[in-house]
Amino acid sequence: MTEIFQQLINALLLGCTYTLIAIGFNLFFGALNVVHFSHGDVCILGAFVTLILYSLGKFLGLFAILPKFVYIPLMIIMAMVLTGLLGVFFERVVIKPFRYAPLLMVLVATVALGIVVREAVRLSFPHGSNPQIFPRILPQKSFQWGGVLFRLDSLIIFGITLFLIFMMFLFIKRTKMGAAIRAISQDGEAAMMMGINMDITVAATFLIGSALGAVAGILIGAYNNIIRFDMGLMGGVKGFSAAVVGGLGNVYGAIIGGLILGMVETFAAAFIPGGTPYTDVFAFLVVIFFLIFRPSGILGEKVYEKV
Amino acid sequence: MFQGKSVGRALLLVGVEVIFFVLFVAFMLAHQLGKTMAFIIFFISLGILFKKWRGLNHAVVELFTEMKILAVVVFIVMVLTLPFMFQKSPYLIHICVMAGLYAILALGLNFQLGSTNVVNFATAASYGIGAYTSALLAVHFQVSFWIGIFISGGVASLFGLLLGIPCMKTKDYYLSLVTIAFGLIVYILLINFSWTGGPNGIPNIPPPSFLGHSFREPLNLFGFNLPFQSNYFYLIFVLVGGALFVAYRLHHSRVGLTWNAIREDEIAARCHGIDVTWYKILAFCIDAFFGGVTGTVYAHYIGFISPENFAFIVSVVVVTMVILGGMDNVFGVIIGAVILTILPEKFRAFEDFRLLVYGVIVVTMLVFRPQGLFPQKLRIYQR
Repeated sequence: MTEIFQQLINALLLGCTYTLIAIGFNLFFGALNVVHFSHGDVCILGAFVTLILYSLGKFLGLFAILPKFVYIPLMIIMAMVLTGLLGVFFERVVIKPFRYAPLLMVLVATVALGIVVREAVRLSFPHGSNPQIFPRILPQKSFQWGGVLFRLDSLIIFGITLFLIFMMFLFIKRTKMGAAIRAISQDGEAAMMMGINMDITVAATFLIGSALGAVAGILIGAYNNIIRFDMGLMGGVKGFSAAVVGGLGNVYGAIIGGLILGMVETFAAAFIPGGTPYTDVFAFLVVIFFLIFRPSGILGEKVYEKV
Repeated sequence: MFQGKSVGRALLLVGVEVIFFVLFVAFMLAHQLGKTMAFIIFFISLGILFKKWRGLNHAVVELFTEMKILAVVVFIVMVLTLPFMFQKSPYLIHICVMAGLYAILALGLNFQLGSTNVVNFATAASYGIGAYTSALLAVHFQVSFWIGIFISGGVASLFGLLLGIPCMKTKDYYLSLVTIAFGLIVYILLINFSWTGGPNGIPNIPPPSFLGHSFREPLNLFGFNLPFQSNYFYLIFVLVGGALFVAYRLHHSRVGLTWNAIREDEIAARCHGIDVTWYKILAFCIDAFFGGVTGTVYAHYIGFISPENFAFIVSVVVVTMVILGGMDNVFGVIIGAVILTILPEKFRAFEDFRLLVYGVIVVTMLVFRPQGLFPQKLRIYQR
């Protein structure tokens, strides 16, 4: 029983990162009906930005001046903003030219962008092909409770994710910009006729999505203590899978999809003998089965096709 | 009078083709980066000139359509002489062989992506399945290359059928996710199974032999001693020719027309009594067959395969070849494959930046010419 509970915590943790990535996919799909395939790479880029900021802080001696609990949140926020701006930049350069083109073009262009981002990261770090050590920015303590081992950092990750999702919902539901995002996701043209500035709204969407993705990247790095330039490919595919399982375009779906994917992977690794190398296979098989029986995801609307 | 004029035009056509061929050979032989860049800029400006100057464009197109057979024959003869041009540098012949392999993959994918508008990111999977099938058969059971090529094509087709079933339910992005997931599943399984050699792959795959002549020995032709890659060059030339023939015939048949109908509007096609499921599955199977055949040739040519050769990036490369060359244009697809194979190899000087340059090229080309280099042509049935 404790074993199951322990694995449940791991699954939740994995689900959190997938959810954060999947929210980005859903936001972009909602706003522009595009899949930003390099989103996973942008997320890992967030982790690398944090790494740079950390080294910079160390170099400038900021750690001596500022206490850790001030500098690290500051660093994460800075990384979120920087990655968000990068996301906006990528949208302008790679996605915007294809706004009225067949959707395949965007797909391929963003896949190519993913290659560019990955390679740029690999080349700009010394020994970039090897995993980079990520600083231990979260406290490393752990405690036992009812036979279950809790790592403090996993609780913090869980808390951060919940907080961010909550803030995002507040933003989407309560602010004017959030209303604009909801409006363009319902009907872009009608929204523009109502005086909504499409470009700024899309930029805001990409800012939020990429910033949340950056947090996912940072949390992955902080939990595993390493990051690799090519983690973004798998992260992106998993995040996309989570978004699709939950229902593409539906932000609530991202949470459900992320948790399902996290559960499948964790339990496949834990309870299927010899299953550890095959966790991704199980995850993808589940995704394919979901797509066969619920092609528009769990919360996705049923789309009726018209000629 | 008339006779003299048409001879003159024929000479003009041959001259144009020979000039392009010489330029191509010179480009391939250019070693320094500066020269390569100069050639690339020259080709791009030539393309722009060709596009802007309507008169020249029309004249050349008219010339080539007028004497189609002559143009094709001259082209074939020139391609056949390539190994003689490159006999000092086997590496260039190797690039040509790889270009041919990718051309077949791209032609196969074109049935889906170009004709039917079914996104498929699992080309690497069928390519890998074909390569592993024939390699395992050859290493463990001494099955000949010439039999293995059909077996692996069939096995790859079976997997294509398997992939096609979930794909019938899904469209667009969902479909692309299914194919990406399938490709990754195959890749992960290849790494983790012990009977496929795991991450180490399969070494020592025997080369094929033809009439007692092993393909790993130098080829003697007309007193010239050509490097062993030339064997594969001629093999792949025949295969590309076959693939081209199949693709061309399919495109101009009922099947190609049906695929186009599905691309334009699936529901309308269904309303006209087209069995959409069957034709989509057919596209999947033919693509997988092409992939399997290509994989077989690759495995026996290189002699060593590992899962890395069939990673996700290979599928992306093939998809970009189809899009870049021009969807549903058989010749455009081949040119896209050749360009995207040769260009990265030319940038081998900075090995590390290869993929980066590749990605930048693809993004810029998509932004500036989203319809591809050679967009599809309207079907003309009667003049």
